[in-house]
Amino acid sequence: MTTAHTSAGASTDETEVAVASSGLGPDAGPRTAPARTLWSRVTPLLEQYGLLILFLLMFFIFASFWDRPATFRSGANLRSVLGTYSVPGVLALAAIVPLVCGQFDLTVGSVAGLTALSTAAALTRFEYSLAVAVVLAVAIGLAVGLLNGYLVAYVGVNAFITTLGMASVIAGLITLYTNGDTIIIGDRTLGALGADNFLGIPMILYALAVVAIVVYYLLGHTPFGRYLHSIGSNPTAARLVGLDVRRLVMLSFVLSAVISAIAGVLLVARNGNANPQVGGQILTLPALAAAFLGATAIRPGRFNVVGTLLAVFFVAFALSGLNLNDVSQWITDFFTGAALVAAVALSTVIGRRRAGAS
Amino acid sequence: MAQLHGDAQGSAPALRVTSLSKTFPGTRALDDVSLEVQPGHIHALLGGNGSGKSTLIKVLAGVYHGDPGGEITVGTASAHSDKTSPQWARQAGLHFVHQNPGVFPTMTVAENMAIGRGFETTGIGSIKWRALKRRTAELLERFQIQATPDMPVGLLRPADRTMVAIARALQDQEGGHDGVLVLDEPTASLPASEVDVLLTALRRYAAAGQTIIFVTHRLDEVIAISDRVSVLRDGRHVATIDTEGKNEMDLVELIVGRALDRVFPEMPPVESEEAALEVRGLVAGPLRGVDFTLRKGEVLGIAGLLGSGRTELLKALFGAYPLAAGQVLLDGQPVRFKGVEQAMDAGIAYIPEDRAAEAAFLDMSLRENVSASQVRHYWRGLRHRHGAEGVDARRSITDYMVKAHSDQQPFGTLSGGNQQKVVLARWLRRRPKLLLLDEPTQGVDVNARAEIYGAVRRAVEEGTSVIVVTSDFEELSRVADRVIVLAHGRVVAQVAAPHIEPHRLTELAFASAGDTTRKVAAS
Repeated sequence: MTTAHTSAGASTDETEVAVASSGLGPDAGPRTAPARTLWSRVTPLLEQYGLLILFLLMFFIFASFWDRPATFRSGANLRSVLGTYSVPGVLALAAIVPLVCGQFDLTVGSVAGLTALSTAAALTRFEYSLAVAVVLAVAIGLAVGLLNGYLVAYVGVNAFITTLGMASVIAGLITLYTNGDTIIIGDRTLGALGADNFLGIPMILYALAVVAIVVYYLLGHTPFGRYLHSIGSNPTAARLVGLDVRRLVMLSFVLSAVISAIAGVLLVARNGNANPQVGGQILTLPALAAAFLGATAIRPGRFNVVGTLLAVFFVAFALSGLNLNDVSQWITDFFTGAALVAAVALSTVIGRRRAGAS
Repeated sequence: MAQLHGDAQGSAPALRVTSLSKTFPGTRALDDVSLEVQPGHIHALLGGNGSGKSTLIKVLAGVYHGDPGGEITVGTASAHSDKTSPQWARQAGLHFVHQNPGVFPTMTVAENMAIGRGFETTGIGSIKWRALKRRTAELLERFQIQATPDMPVGLLRPADRTMVAIARALQDQEGGHDGVLVLDEPTASLPASEVDVLLTALRRYAAAGQTIIFVTHRLDEVIAISDRVSVLRDGRHVATIDTEGKNEMDLVELIVGRALDRVFPEMPPVESEEAALEVRGLVAGPLRGVDFTLRKGEVLGIAGLLGSGRTELLKALFGAYPLAAGQVLLDGQPVRFKGVEQAMDAGIAYIPEDRAAEAAFLDMSLRENVSASQVRHYWRGLRHRHGAEGVDARRSITDYMVKAHSDQQPFGTLSGGNQQKVVLARWLRRRPKLLLLDEPTQGVDVNARAEIYGAVRRAVEEGTSVIVVTSDFEELSRVADRVIVLAHGRVVAQVAAPHIEPHRLTELAFASAGDTTRKVAAS
């Protein structure tokens, strides 16, 4: 059996060599050919690692000379950026799950806002234990995810409309409950998770890492992930290879909402309070931006975990550097949007080149 | 149409391509191609998948630039091969109509005509409807299309839709002899009766002096209407010959570069009398009570026109189309599938007609495509075994003779024939008891067709029973042990080998369709 495998592999390699040499043989003609080949080798790498290179370049500039390098590269600043952007990171990971199967979830930020509030309320107003508060948050995520998923997958409502409407409904419920007041928490465990470090690294970053590993595993190493990718690629073909497309699409919304619910708990931990003003679009848009930006890197054309994290922290450190240089507040929205559009445009151009060569 | 020129018009070619090459990273799609097309000719362009004919068309259309050094001349306009553009092609008089004619079905003929060239408007920006309709009526007259300017294009016959697209492409030409019309697989999606309508129209346009380049896989059409044939193979121009006196086998030899004794392998004889599948009174969609039995190891062909319910029959057997009534027995056991997964578990495989829409995951890798029907197979010890999946994928590439440089290659970059082989491998890997093939060789070249049926034959030898639906009755007559003819939702005739002849099947399919219509009308 093993021998058969090896020989099959070997003969494929031979074919590959044969194909390659027929294109580059002595009669390959025009002298532009080698240059093109070089370019064609560089392009995929550039595409794959473009964002990483940009990230390192940006980091180098801020950390070495522009304008307060010492502050930028100080441990306090690095920890602060990593900690602050862990929650948006978790939300971006929540967003990519439905995106992989071709669906939008615009409620990620709203769910986080809602569960931040539910957690804070459970702990302070009702004095439940932290465990109960977390279970409650996850239950809320489950409920919203099931509702979103049912409407999109089984009723057939467009996901954009469903989740946009749902986000507005949640915003209304939040205002109804809080009347706009912030709920401050005093839970020590949660406070520690939000503010303390472990081995010099913010605790909350470990939480992000756990979520990232789980999502990475689910999307890349389980049949579930492969199924979601197949549905995103061609739902009809997915059905005809035996997939229960509707159930899987619904599950993707459930997963996204549950991860968002966890992000809500982390948000309370980080901020020490639940502010009804923080949530909804303010959190959703950067999460989606990071997801799309991340889809241009590492595995170009696919929403992927590593690319998404890279995107989150690329934006995070860029904004930190700019803020340290007294570039005023408007830069946050401006830069996030500009980076997204520029990156997607660039990857579209490179992608078109590649398609042209096929 | 007043000043017409026939074939006799001098020797200046309508189109001349000189030393055209096109290099892609790793491959040479076109290698020093030179050819001429005479004015007023229907010039067929033939070649297998990957022969470079699509690339040639794309260079002509200005979508790709050729390598420097070649030249393209259309009438009196000339351009270096690396300097062409869509604008240049249009100005030079090259007009393209693709397989999907790109008409808007819900819009009227007049609107479709105007959409390519812009609407004429009055001073205040509203459309000059009356002028547009008059112009459209003239065009319909000139191209002899049976339609009125106000008809939605979706209501036209499929062939007329293509002719509307042709008229739209040629509308601004002064005389009938100007420019070159390039038709890329115009008949691929037309039913047989419609093909004749279109071919007749093309012959008429050519007789009026229109130069036409005709790309197709259907060799009978080439023999029927073309004046000359150019054949490409592996990016090289192999030959340009007069069509007169040539038959399909001559063309096949040029295309594949060797004599193909048998494009279709002989299927092993059916030895078993045991039924693999029995269908009793099946009602689903257009099907109104279908009965037939498939024996173990048999290849059963289904002949039927578009709309006869042939696709629905296969989908219903595969659990992908709701059954209204009837009984299906698989190996003697009654089955009723709630979904595709159950049918797959019972050992059924289905290869759909429309590969791009129903089988392909174009942006995913070849590897992911070939294992799409058995992802769970690689789920061991709580993780997906990417390594084992890759090994199996590479083995399938060799076994099914897929031309690919790696199993990680995006599926969309494979040629049609190679994509189809991958889809076939996806299902044959599961060693199905029952294989349902819906138009398995549509848009697939002769070589790949032979390889596809070779693989089916191997499956049959291992005990798979096959139902194959195809509009190519020639193909049915070669591969099927028995053919049932489906018309208006019923089995109306049955022919067993060796009496399966293409023209007989055509007669049966059309005659039965007519019969039923008459019966329905009478009742």
